[in-house]
Amino acid sequence: MPTPSITPEILFEARRHFLKLGAGALVSSTALSQLLASMPEEIQLSFTKDPNPLKLTPNTFEQVSNYVNFYEFSTDKTAPVKMAQVIKLKPWSLGFFGEIAREEMVEVDDLIAKFGLEERIYRFRCVEGWSMVVPWIGFPLYKLLDYLQPNSKAKYVKFTTRHEPDIFPDQAKGLFASIKHPYVEGLRMDEARHPLTFLAVGMYGKPLPKQNGAPIRLVVPWKYGFKSIKSLDLIECVEEQPLNTWQAMAPEEYGFYANVNPHVDHPRWSQAKERLLGKLTKQETLMFNGYEKEVSHLYAGMDLRKQY
Amino acid sequence: MKTLIVVLALLPLGYTYYALESAIDPIKMLYTTTGVGALLLLLLSLAPSTCQRFCALNLLRFRKTLGLLAFVYALLHVSVFIVLDSELDFVTLFAKSLKKPFIYVGVIAFLILLLMALTSTKKLFARFSRYHKAVYGALVLILLHDFWAQKVAGAFEYGMMAIGIVLLGERVWKECRFNMSKRH
Repeated sequence: MPTPSITPEILFEARRHFLKLGAGALVSSTALSQLLASMPEEIQLSFTKDPNPLKLTPNTFEQVSNYVNFYEFSTDKTAPVKMAQVIKLKPWSLGFFGEIAREEMVEVDDLIAKFGLEERIYRFRCVEGWSMVVPWIGFPLYKLLDYLQPNSKAKYVKFTTRHEPDIFPDQAKGLFASIKHPYVEGLRMDEARHPLTFLAVGMYGKPLPKQNGAPIRLVVPWKYGFKSIKSLDLIECVEEQPLNTWQAMAPEEYGFYANVNPHVDHPRWSQAKERLLGKLTKQETLMFNGYEKEVSHLYAGMDLRKQY
Repeated sequence: MKTLIVVLALLPLGYTYYALESAIDPIKMLYTTTGVGALLLLLLSLAPSTCQRFCALNLLRFRKTLGLLAFVYALLHVSVFIVLDSELDFVTLFAKSLKKPFIYVGVIAFLILLLMALTSTKKLFARFSRYHKAVYGALVLILLHDFWAQKVAGAFEYGMMAIGIVLLGERVWKECRFNMSKRH
């Protein structure tokens, strides 16, 4: 049996990097994000590049990694940048249960090995009225579903964020938590199997920053950002429509579908325009966030005012 | 002293101007700075009279300065709404203002502050001072506006609401005691 007496070089480098991050965190969050951006070379992911047919211009890594909604840490947009660094990424296994042929737990790294990685440059529109363009790295959800083999009872896919109050402080607050925990999201099976629906493990060529929902998160580009659930723990195929967290919080404001729709206002604010991060001027919000051609058939015959 | 208050109160605006270029969500940042500034200054302007009754510290002479500063911040907040957020599209702006309670509550509060600012000169204040009690209405509306502007209210909103309740409650309590003592 080999005895690991010498620290491997990569781990030694990682430790030095970690110490530097700690020092950076003491100085400022900007310093921290700069250090995070300069992660060692070996953590660069290998993936197929997105040819970017829509000619989208991504936001900067600094913007995307310093402006997040991660209520498990804080309702503030920048506080999670520091707070989320406590997440331990390895080991992290994802549980697959419900109406599927193979119920099991799989390590994120094994999922990456199984399905490979590709880049997807997507628009991202938050229900709050801001938007961004992000080059995600990951694999489409249908590849995973093909592997799990849902049975005929599987009508919906339910997603759950990890529930671990030691890591996510808001989960330990009980009645005083900002939202109900654990965070739950859901998709209809045809939405889940749509080729645009994506599981991201990275962005900008690197593993996901912890505050952006590491180690693995959902990305559904034609829906408001809250559908794109972070730090996944469970993926279940179910018969009944899951009650997603924001719908449970305020059903008159947030529905199950949450498709980006400039013609249907949020009860408290308009959704016609959006603030692209970094811009002082606003831009028009597009139907289904600009993916109308690809996804509108999923909602044929539905009243999108009622099924918001 | 009054000049110092004005300079201190306007410092955040200088910083905001400087930080605007690198801001991730500039419109949101301008909304937050001007909105939070207006609310804090309005609460501060209500503190002197409570202060006088509790710690015999007379800061009443700063009330007008603080109130006017709150108005300046509110005016900037409304300007962000009209110029940057609505991009001078007055049709949508009026539609939004009428349809969304969170916005018309803010508009009403601003109109109250506007009338108070206009009648704050010595001459006019003598005639209009009794209408300045409307500031309490404005405060309640502003707290509601802040509450509704968030996806979910956080520590800041509850904190501000608590301070508002203390300042308003103290006045109600004072009135009650005053009325009781009149009856005896």
